[in-house]
Amino acid sequence: MNVKMTVDIGGLTLKNPVMTASGTFGYGEEYSDYLDLDRLGAIIVKGLSLKPREGNLPPRIVETASGMLNAVGLQNVGVRAFIDDKLPWLRSVDSVVIANIFGETIEDYANVAEILNDAEGVAAVEVNISCPNVKRGGITFGSDPAVAEEVTRAVKSVSRLPVIVKLTPNVTDITKIARRVEAAGADALSLINTITGMSVDIEKRVPHLKNVTGGLSGPAIKPVALRMVWEVVNTVSIPVIGVGGIMNARDALEFLIVGAKAVQVGTANFLNPGVTADIIDDMERYLSEKGIDDIHDLIGTLKV
Amino acid sequence: MVLKVSASFMASLPGQFVMVRMRNGDDPFLSRPFSIYSAYSRGNDTYIEILYKVVGKGTEAFSRLREGDILNILGPLGRGFDIPSTCKKIALIAGGVGIAPLSFLAERYGEDIRGMEILCYMGAGTSESLAGLDRLEDLCSGVKISTDDGSRGHHGPVTELFKQDMDLYSDDDIQLYSCGPNPMLMSLQELLKDRPFACQVSLEERMACGIGACLGCVVKIKSGETGGGLVRVCKEGPVFDIYSVEFSEYNG
Repeated sequence: MNVKMTVDIGGLTLKNPVMTASGTFGYGEEYSDYLDLDRLGAIIVKGLSLKPREGNLPPRIVETASGMLNAVGLQNVGVRAFIDDKLPWLRSVDSVVIANIFGETIEDYANVAEILNDAEGVAAVEVNISCPNVKRGGITFGSDPAVAEEVTRAVKSVSRLPVIVKLTPNVTDITKIARRVEAAGADALSLINTITGMSVDIEKRVPHLKNVTGGLSGPAIKPVALRMVWEVVNTVSIPVIGVGGIMNARDALEFLIVGAKAVQVGTANFLNPGVTADIIDDMERYLSEKGIDDIHDLIGTLKV
Repeated sequence: MVLKVSASFMASLPGQFVMVRMRNGDDPFLSRPFSIYSAYSRGNDTYIEILYKVVGKGTEAFSRLREGDILNILGPLGRGFDIPSTCKKIALIAGGVGIAPLSFLAERYGEDIRGMEILCYMGAGTSESLAGLDRLEDLCSGVKISTDDGSRGHHGPVTELFKQDMDLYSDDDIQLYSCGPNPMLMSLQELLKDRPFACQVSLEERMACGIGACLGCVVKIKSGETGGGLVRVCKEGPVFDIYSVEFSEYNG
């Protein structure tokens, strides 16, 4: 049976709902020896800032129960070097390229988004609002509904591309943030980013990460991600992209059934660089076996 | 541990590594990086060997494997050792299981390059932990041993043992290769301040992906021709010029 896997996300057409999550897929090329990148629904590149960033000092990662913590510190080449050095190669890939962006101030976000308007080959921007706002004492942009709205509005006012806003789970009520971001004009939402965590070396009595805290990812966070996606799809009417601990097609299908229109695969890429192709194949097989000929007939069909 | 792998692994170079993960389950979660200890073919099959010591959850799980079990392996990865054509004499300085890539180097190049002398300085905690000694004795023209507890060879660190012989070598004909715990590499770097012999080191860092994407394995490199800063051990390394590495408390 021929299964229709195409989905539309805020004006973008993806050949299938499987994307790679920002920060886990480099700038795409790193994976080209291990995976046919043309198969992907979309590639979301490592978060870009106005200026290059060196990131945090090591140790930057530590394994945890069914997951890992990272405090890479948003190391990246900067938006201009991305356009000049990384994007030309990505244009040869027959997949949708989405640029993940972040800033230290609201102006930074708008500037990066504006620069990307003219970057041939970038189909959309994904706004990471999980980073600290230096002008407001380091409080995360995405944890304050008013600031989340302000960032979204700033990016939307300059960007000519579809704008996806990636939400942080480190909040009391994610639906409040989701509602404000939607009101500010976001074309889609992706969630969740990593959950802030910590791990301690009991011999040396020091944190395992130089940065002390880091972002938890991997299967450990999937139930939390799924619950938040469920809450948000019941709150907003724009498309929601499910992210968090997806290791295989079964995990991805859970997010689709709950109501996510697409998914992002993150940490699983580290364990198996070809995992996304397996997920797409297995997803297609599942739909075929269930007699579902269009993936839309599965999305949001959770019975409660 | 001997692993049957695809034929592409025959291209493995000394200093390169593989990422190994248990096939099932999420505990341990991440793949583990291991230097390639040997790569060879028998009949139609290709094999690699890795050398490991049980230090944590990952290696403990490996120790419970039985013959015929299947693992996920990615590799060969990273940049291996560079062997200058002018090189006449090699000294290997190894700490513990750091012997693995150096033994592979001796195996791969020892026979190819006629007239090259390979000497090995091998340090370990105790005489029981001198893994791979027999193989090295076959491959090298001489092996000198040190142990932390004095149970065999020189009593003390392997760098001390090497220091005793430093005057026997001259700058223009010796190439050093080293691998071991970071404190050992730091003292080697210190030792070479007065006698700057060419020296390449293979570094070890925690990694998630091994292919340059996670940015978890960075090490600080002094600014120079290649720019310096925080660079990936998995991609720009794991082999570095010892003089370029900025060892500090975090990686020491």
